[in-house]
Amino acid sequence: MGGLLSYFRSLIGSREMRILILGLDGAGKTTILYRLQVGEVVTTIPTIGFNVEQVTYKNLKFQVWDLGGQTSIRPYWRCYYSNTDAIIYVVDSVDKDRIGISKQELVSMLEEEELKGAILAVLANKQDMDGAMSVAEVHQALGLDLLRNRTFQIFKTSAIKGEGLDQAMDWLSNALQSRK
Amino acid sequence: MTDSKYFTTTKKGEIFELKSELNSEKKEKKREAVKKVIASMTVGKDVSALFPDVVNCMQTDNLELKKLVYLYLMNYAKSQPDMAIMAVNTFVKDCEDPNPLIRALAVRTMGCIRVDKITEYLCEPLRKCLKDEDPYVRKTAAVCVAKLHDINASLVEDQGFLDQLKELLSDSNPMVVANAVAALSEINEASSSGVPLVEMNTQTINKLLTALNECTEWGQVFILDSISNYSPKDEREAQSICERITPRLAHANAAVVLSAVKVLMKLMEMMAPDADFVVNLSKKLAPPLVTLLSSEPEVQYVALRNINLIVQKRPDILKNEMKVFFVKYNDPIYVKLEKLDIMIRLANQSNIAQVLSELKEYATEVDVDFVRKAVRAIGRCAIKVEPSAERCVSTLLDLIQTKVNYVVQEAIVVIKDIFRKYPNRYESIISTLCENLDTLDEPEARGSMIWIIGEYAERIDNADELLESFLEGFQDESTQVQLQLLTAIVKLFLKRPADTQELVQQVLTLATQDSDNPDLRDRGFIYWRLLSTDPAAAREVVLADKPLISEETDLLEPSLLDELVCHIASLASVYHKPPSAFVEGRGLGSSRRALPTRSGSQDILESSPSHGERSGVIPTQESLIGDLLTMDLGGPPVPSSVPAAPFASSGLDLLSGGLDGLLSDSPSVPPPQAAPAPSVGLLGDIFGLAPSASTSYVAPKQMWLPAARGKGLEITGTFSRRNGQIQMEMTMTNRAMQPMMQFAVQLNKNSFGLVPAAPLHVVSPLAPNQSYEAVLPLNPTGPVQRMEPLTNLQVAIKNNIDVFYFAVVMPMNIFFAEDGQMDKRVFLSTWKDIPAANEVQYTINNVNLSADAVSSKMQQNNVFTIAKRNVEGQDMLYQSLKLVNGIWILSELKMQPGNPTLILAVKTRAPDVSAGVNTAFDAILHS
Repeated sequence: MGGLLSYFRSLIGSREMRILILGLDGAGKTTILYRLQVGEVVTTIPTIGFNVEQVTYKNLKFQVWDLGGQTSIRPYWRCYYSNTDAIIYVVDSVDKDRIGISKQELVSMLEEEELKGAILAVLANKQDMDGAMSVAEVHQALGLDLLRNRTFQIFKTSAIKGEGLDQAMDWLSNALQSRK
Repeated sequence: MTDSKYFTTTKKGEIFELKSELNSEKKEKKREAVKKVIASMTVGKDVSALFPDVVNCMQTDNLELKKLVYLYLMNYAKSQPDMAIMAVNTFVKDCEDPNPLIRALAVRTMGCIRVDKITEYLCEPLRKCLKDEDPYVRKTAAVCVAKLHDINASLVEDQGFLDQLKELLSDSNPMVVANAVAALSEINEASSSGVPLVEMNTQTINKLLTALNECTEWGQVFILDSISNYSPKDEREAQSICERITPRLAHANAAVVLSAVKVLMKLMEMMAPDADFVVNLSKKLAPPLVTLLSSEPEVQYVALRNINLIVQKRPDILKNEMKVFFVKYNDPIYVKLEKLDIMIRLANQSNIAQVLSELKEYATEVDVDFVRKAVRAIGRCAIKVEPSAERCVSTLLDLIQTKVNYVVQEAIVVIKDIFRKYPNRYESIISTLCENLDTLDEPEARGSMIWIIGEYAERIDNADELLESFLEGFQDESTQVQLQLLTAIVKLFLKRPADTQELVQQVLTLATQDSDNPDLRDRGFIYWRLLSTDPAAAREVVLADKPLISEETDLLEPSLLDELVCHIASLASVYHKPPSAFVEGRGLGSSRRALPTRSGSQDILESSPSHGERSGVIPTQESLIGDLLTMDLGGPPVPSSVPAAPFASSGLDLLSGGLDGLLSDSPSVPPPQAAPAPSVGLLGDIFGLAPSASTSYVAPKQMWLPAARGKGLEITGTFSRRNGQIQMEMTMTNRAMQPMMQFAVQLNKNSFGLVPAAPLHVVSPLAPNQSYEAVLPLNPTGPVQRMEPLTNLQVAIKNNIDVFYFAVVMPMNIFFAEDGQMDKRVFLSTWKDIPAANEVQYTINNVNLSADAVSSKMQQNNVFTIAKRNVEGQDMLYQSLKLVNGIWILSELKMQPGNPTLILAVKTRAPDVSAGVNTAFDAILHS
């Protein structure tokens, strides 16, 4: 019975989910993308532009867009907002200096009309490194307490070690499916 | 209802529809959308607003879609330069794609995106592609370097792409080599300094020659072009290149053949013209050129234009091929005219009969232009081949009998030239010409006829009547005819003054009072004044012997011809104009190509840049003017002539104790070592103070006046000091087409008061292409004026054509006087006397001479070694010299055996000359 249900569900949900991975430069967006896609750590160079890949997670198909985080590229994020189902916002937990900038970018992004219905997953990345801020600290620094009318969750991750990504994706796929 | 409805339409428009289609999830729909976008773009609709949406389709595994997106990018990246950055990452990824086609496609598109902001991001992928394992990717990347150089030259140089490109020259794949060569030559041509950024050498040329045989035809053209820019180091290398290129002459592609011809023509310049090799090569060049004439007319025309140059440069190559240039009835007119031109150039005594009968045939054709040219050609044959003149003239007379208007007119124009070339031989035909007076309606023909009447007025009984008849319509004639008529009537008057006074009065009035043409009026006034003041002088002026006309008046200037030969197989050779004349942006930047030369005259070109470098060595110091002048007038600050004897008696070895030892005047100290070997030439030369028949260092001749600036006069020159006499040595070459005479020279006031000691003697006349070695002795006795730099000399050379001014920098060593030997004591005191601030230090590199060799070398140039010392393994030479204006210069040369770098310290009361002295030392030591 459950199998049949999931079968129908997969029929309904056969639409590809569109996910954006955003965040400041050097936060680990591209590494996370390829960790999700091929399951291993690839050497990356700063993304001047974007990457787009098909990611299949638990029979769900995602079209994942990884946009470069350089200051010069951030203005163009908005070109990718429409029809977005979910946003994965990656934060470099070690980079305390720029967490403020990261917050500003996040806040201004969430104000966008086109992203009203998008689900937000914040990844406090680089947890494997010394001096990383804890999840609570990141939560605090990004001002997520004040976030209203938004399905969101914060996760601690390490893209290099592959920790926390599965939890995030589990939550994301559940949230996306239950939204239907 | 208001009219606002017109503004609130529900239709969102085509762009909007395309936008949503581009963002569609279905791949087919997306692809269709991109195709629609490209279609709109192609027909000229502005779809740049879709830039982000199209770029988002870029990452796809569908090659077709990718190509379309790339196409869009190339078109619109410029209009969306900021947004273009979003494409960078995809390029980077595509350059690492496993499919070589995609890698090549990416690198090619990158080169076409001319957006400054993103070029720097593209360097890394480009670098990878240059080393790609697939030759197709490498060759595409090579071309991309040239494109990148066009956008940002310094980036390409800084990133080391030029070196990578150079490495590709030795690539295993000939296609890659050809593209690398093409890219390199494009980069070299664009170089702003005019100096090629990448020089070819023997190794690279060898690699190119190896790749040549395996390339596609266009690759071969690129390779041949770049070989043609290379100057082999000697004749043997040139020969071996020729041998390897010769097989290309058999290629089916005309461009390859012509490019090969260009290289061979250029290299043959390096060889003796009568060498067997050149003779054989010339034989091999003819058949391929002839073959080109059997292709379609357009190619024929290009070939003929090139052959025209080749025939002018080397008439021997095609001398036996006259027949292929005979005109066919169905040749297009442009081919006919060009063939005619070449026929005349090839005409000589042995084939003239054939040529004449052909030309006579052509003169009866229907095409007016062609007939005219044929008639003119007959005249040119008469002038060129003297034994045939008679036949040519009778042919022309036959043609005049046809009474065809334009034939007659053209014939008269050429007969005028024949009269001038062969005076007093064919004047008997004048009467025939006069019969056709009425048919002449073109200015040139009328002018020619009037000239003939005026020139031979004494033989034409009714000359006055004929000229009078022309005079009736004087106002309506063209200027050319009016001028001729004026001169002809004045000639007539001078020959037959009795009955033509009225006529001359009339024409002078017409010319001076009724005409508003200044040329005509001026000429009229001159004649009038001449006739009224001194008729004898008028006779001398007006009836003077005319110079002979040259054989071929339509030859290209030799310098232009040489340049064009270097551009065979390019548009320049078709236009017969240098590329700078018709390609924009090729002004200063591109260097003019020149044929290589056989002798050492290349040195001139190479050394000329140093000319500019040397000027400006001496800093401006106003105070020096006073210094120089006082020194000149008030005599030297130290005794000028030094008795030789005391120096010799005190012995050189004293000096080994250092400079202070000079003071300890104790001749009794035994010399610790034997007197210096005679090879030093020091002692011996002290007694014979001025070395007999000494020739000091003479710099190689430099280009002083290029032919382009000297209206054909080319001067290369240098300065020398021979037996105490300063000389200016010049090679004067006449590169113009007319003889030059009446040479004279004048020098501007200069720092050393140089004035010519004798008038300039040049062989007169200096015939075209003749060279003359002129030697002008100079004396430093003229007025002195400080120049900047000090050794600058402004020269004016005059000849019958014009006055030419140029500035040259004299080497300081010509002013080193023979009596520059200073007494060692005086030397020491002077050395101490001169403030240390006046001491200037220089380093001289790459001198591999022993101290003794340096000493003797300097001695030959009147730099006298006063003392030699050895301190801690360093040799120190203390030397003195005196300039002709009395300035003493003391110097210390520090050298370490085995170290090619010398330290020169110069001390003088007039430190402004120090730099010049250093330059002179440098030149002498490297001579």
